[in-house]
Amino acid sequence: MSKESTVKTLTSIGRDVMDAILEGEFPSLHFPDRSTDNIVYDGVTNQFVLGDSSTTRDSSNLRHVRSFAQLIWVAYFAKKLTSAQRTSSLRDLYYSSEAYGVKFSNQAESDRIVTDLETLTGLARENFGIFPEERSSIFGDVRMRYTVSGYENQEVCLTASPDGFPIGRALMTAKPVDASAEIILAIESGGMFSRLIETGAWKRYQAVLIHLGGQPPRATRSLMRRLREELELPIFIFTDGDPWGMHIARVIIGGSANSAHLRGLAVPDAEWIGVTPSDIVNHSLPTEPMNNADLKRLDELLHDVRYAGPVWQDYIKAFRELRSKAEQQAFSRHGMDYVVDTYLKEKLP
Amino acid sequence: MSSQERSVQKFSGISPAEFFYRNRQMAGFGNPTQAVYSTVRELIENGLDACEDAGKAPEIRIKIVDEDSDNVTVTVKDNGTGLPYDEVAQAFGRILYGSKYERRQKRGTFGLGVTMAILYGQITTDSPVLICTRFGEGLGRAYRLLIDIEKNAPILLSETTKRQHSLGTSVSICFKGDLKRAQERVLEYLRLTTVGTPNARIIFNIDDEIQGCIGPWTSEAPKTSIPVKPHPRAVDVELIQRLLNECESTTIRDFLVTSFQQLGTRTASKLLAFMNIDPKTPLDVLTRQDISRLCQGMRHYDGFCSPDSKCLSPIGEASFTAGVRSTFNTSFLSYGRQGVFEWQGNPVILEGVLAVGDSFSVSDTPTLYRMANRVPLLYDASEDIFTKVVRQTSWRRYGFSKPQPAALFLNVSSTRIPYRATGKQSLAHIMEIERETSLLLKVLGRFLSKKVSSGGAAARNVKKRREYSELIGIVAKYGSELADFDSPPPTEHIVQRLFEVSEDE
Repeated sequence: MSKESTVKTLTSIGRDVMDAILEGEFPSLHFPDRSTDNIVYDGVTNQFVLGDSSTTRDSSNLRHVRSFAQLIWVAYFAKKLTSAQRTSSLRDLYYSSEAYGVKFSNQAESDRIVTDLETLTGLARENFGIFPEERSSIFGDVRMRYTVSGYENQEVCLTASPDGFPIGRALMTAKPVDASAEIILAIESGGMFSRLIETGAWKRYQAVLIHLGGQPPRATRSLMRRLREELELPIFIFTDGDPWGMHIARVIIGGSANSAHLRGLAVPDAEWIGVTPSDIVNHSLPTEPMNNADLKRLDELLHDVRYAGPVWQDYIKAFRELRSKAEQQAFSRHGMDYVVDTYLKEKLP
Repeated sequence: MSSQERSVQKFSGISPAEFFYRNRQMAGFGNPTQAVYSTVRELIENGLDACEDAGKAPEIRIKIVDEDSDNVTVTVKDNGTGLPYDEVAQAFGRILYGSKYERRQKRGTFGLGVTMAILYGQITTDSPVLICTRFGEGLGRAYRLLIDIEKNAPILLSETTKRQHSLGTSVSICFKGDLKRAQERVLEYLRLTTVGTPNARIIFNIDDEIQGCIGPWTSEAPKTSIPVKPHPRAVDVELIQRLLNECESTTIRDFLVTSFQQLGTRTASKLLAFMNIDPKTPLDVLTRQDISRLCQGMRHYDGFCSPDSKCLSPIGEASFTAGVRSTFNTSFLSYGRQGVFEWQGNPVILEGVLAVGDSFSVSDTPTLYRMANRVPLLYDASEDIFTKVVRQTSWRRYGFSKPQPAALFLNVSSTRIPYRATGKQSLAHIMEIERETSLLLKVLGRFLSKKVSSGGAAARNVKKRREYSELIGIVAKYGSELADFDSPPPTEHIVQRLFEVSEDE
C-alpha cells in the first residue's frame, strides 16, 4: 500500500469525524468485530479471516469515548509517521501518547488501539510506520529498490551485508526488482541462518534466506508474500522439530488469529520442510523429551481447523507418538556440513 | 408523720455531704484529671441554667489557672440575674438544696454537682469557695464559704460588698487537679457545649495560654421550658411525701388533683376507686403503708394521659444544625426528632443530627457525640445506651455502603435523665429510649442514604461530564488534524446534548 493511499485512508477517517461534529452529531466508527466468535478460518484462501459481525465505536457512549479518542489520536499519529516517512514502535507509540495528552493505562491498551486502527483501515500497522521491536533478517541474491525518503530509487542487493539485512520499514516498502535466487528459505534460528550464509548454501540452493527468529513479525510475513507474488519465488520453511516450530510454518502459510483482520500476510503455498517427526527418526537426531506444554500444544493443534488436512494430522500424530523433539542444530551431530550437504539436498528442489 | 420525720432525720444523721464525699468517684471526682473536667462542667451547667432562667442569651466566662503544686482554680461567671443574697450560703453550702426540684428540664439536678465540686476543693486544698454575685440594683457581694460536712451546712467565712458591673454570679473553686491532662477534654467540652446551647457565648482563658471565644452560633433563644406538676406515673414514695408536706389540701382526692398533672377530679376518683381508697380520706391519717400503696397504684394505673412536654426544651432543628455546622466542617446535615414519648412518667424528646464532613474520621459507623439536656457527655461512652444503639444499627444500609466521614449528635431532653451514675456521664439502658433511638437513627440514616445516592450520582455526573468533555476535545483536536482542518471545531454543543439528555432520564 502506497504512502499516499495510506494517508488518504487516514484522512478520510478524520473527515468523517469532523463532519459529524460540525453537524452536531456524535461521531462513530464501524469496523469488523475482532472477538474470537467472529474469527473464522476461510477454507478457500486457507487463512483466518473476520466474519460478518461488526462493531461500532460510538462517541456518545461514555464507555466508548475514551477508546474513541485514543483511536483518533493513533490515527493522527500514524498519519504523521506516514507523511514524514518516519517509523515508530508499539512501545514508542505508547510513550509518545503522553506528549499529546492522551492517556493509556498500559501498553497493552495502546497496542489494542493500534490493532483497532488496523481493523478499521484494513491496513497492517507497518503501513503506518509502526513496527515491532524485534526484526527479522534477510539475505540472498535479490535486488530491492527503496522507496523510503532519502533512498528513493536506490537499489540494494541483499547479499551486500554478510550478516543479512534487517527487515524494517525500508525493506518492507522497497520494490523487488529481480532475483537470481529461485527459492526462499525461511529459517527459525539465527545459528542456522548464519551457517547457511557462511557455507554458501544460499548459492548452492539459489535461495533467499530469511531469519524468522520465532514467530516472524508481520513485516517479514508481508515481505515474504510480496517476494512470492512479485518474483514468484516458492517458499520453504525450516524450523525446529517441535509443535512450536511447526506452528511458525503454519502461521506463515495460513495466517494467525491475531491478524485475522488483515489481508496480504498469508502465503498459502509455502511449504514446511522440517524438522518433521520422520526427519528426527530418519536422521537419528539427538532429541529431548517433550514437556507438558509441548504435549498440550499438540492436543490444541490437533483440533485446530488449520491442521485439519491429513498431512498436518499425520505430523501431529507422529509427534505424539514420538514424544520427543529436536532443534535445527541437532543435525550438527553428523558434522557441520551435514545439514547443507545431506538434509537440505534431500528437502529442497 | 412522726415516723417519716424520724426516717428523714436518720438519713440526715449520715449527712449527704459526707456520703457524697466518700463516694466521690460516683460524682466524677475520682482522680485529679476528672476533677478538673467535672468542676468545669458543673460550673458551666450551673451558669447556663442561671442565664436561661433569666431569659438571657448565655455569656459564660471561664478562667482556669494552674497554680503551683497542682492547685487548679476554676472561675466561671455567668450573666444571669444573680442570686438572692440570703440564699447564697444555703445554695452553695448544702447538698440537696436548691431550686432545681421543680419539674422542668434543667442541666443540673438538685445543685448537687456544684456542691460536690466545692466539697472536693475544700477537702483537697482546704480552701473555701468564692462566690460573687449581683442581684438587682446596687453593688454586688462576695462570699467565702466552706461546707460543714457532718452537718451538711454552710460555714460562711466572710461576706463583703464588692463592686460588680453587671448582674450575674461568678463561682471560683480551688482544688487539686491535673490541668494538663484534662485540658483537651475541657476544650472539647466547651466546644460541644455550644453545639447543645448554640445561642451561648463561651469566653475561655486557660492559664493565660489558651484563650478564645466560642459561639454564639445562633441568636435564636431556646424554647422556654415551663415547670409542670409531676406526672402520676413518675411518683415514688419520697416524692409523694415531699408533695404531701407542701400540700394544703385536706382530702386525698384534692391532694392528687392539685399536686399532679393529667389528674382531674374525674381521673382522681377513678384512680382512687381502682385502688379502693375513699376519695375523702383525710391526708393526715395516711400511714407509710398507705403512701406506698398509693404510689404503686399510681404507677400502674393506665388511665392517665401522656406527660406534658412543655417542661422540655429541645435544641430544635435550626439551632442544632447551626451548632454542628459552626463547630465542624460539614458538607451534609440531617436533623431528626423522636417523641414526645414517655419514660416512667417523664416526657422525653430525642433529637439527632447526622453530619458528614471532613472534620470527622472516616469509618463504617458515624462518630457519636452524646448530649443529655444539651450537656455533652464525654466519659463512659462504652456503657451508654446511645453507643449500644449506634453499634446495633446496620449503617451499611443507611448511607454507609462505603465508609463515610460522618458524625452523629444525639441529645435527649427529659425532666429526668436516666444516668447510670451520679457522675452523669452515660445513659442507662432504658427500653423506651433504646427503641426511640433506634428509630431516630434509621430516620437519619435514610436521609444520608438518599443523599449519598443522589449526591454521589450528581458528583459522578459532573465528573463524567468533565471527562467526556476532555475526551471529545481530544477527538476534535486530532480528528481535525487528521482531516487537515486548520483548527478543531467546538465540541461544547455535543457535550451539552449528551448530558442534557441523560439528566432528563
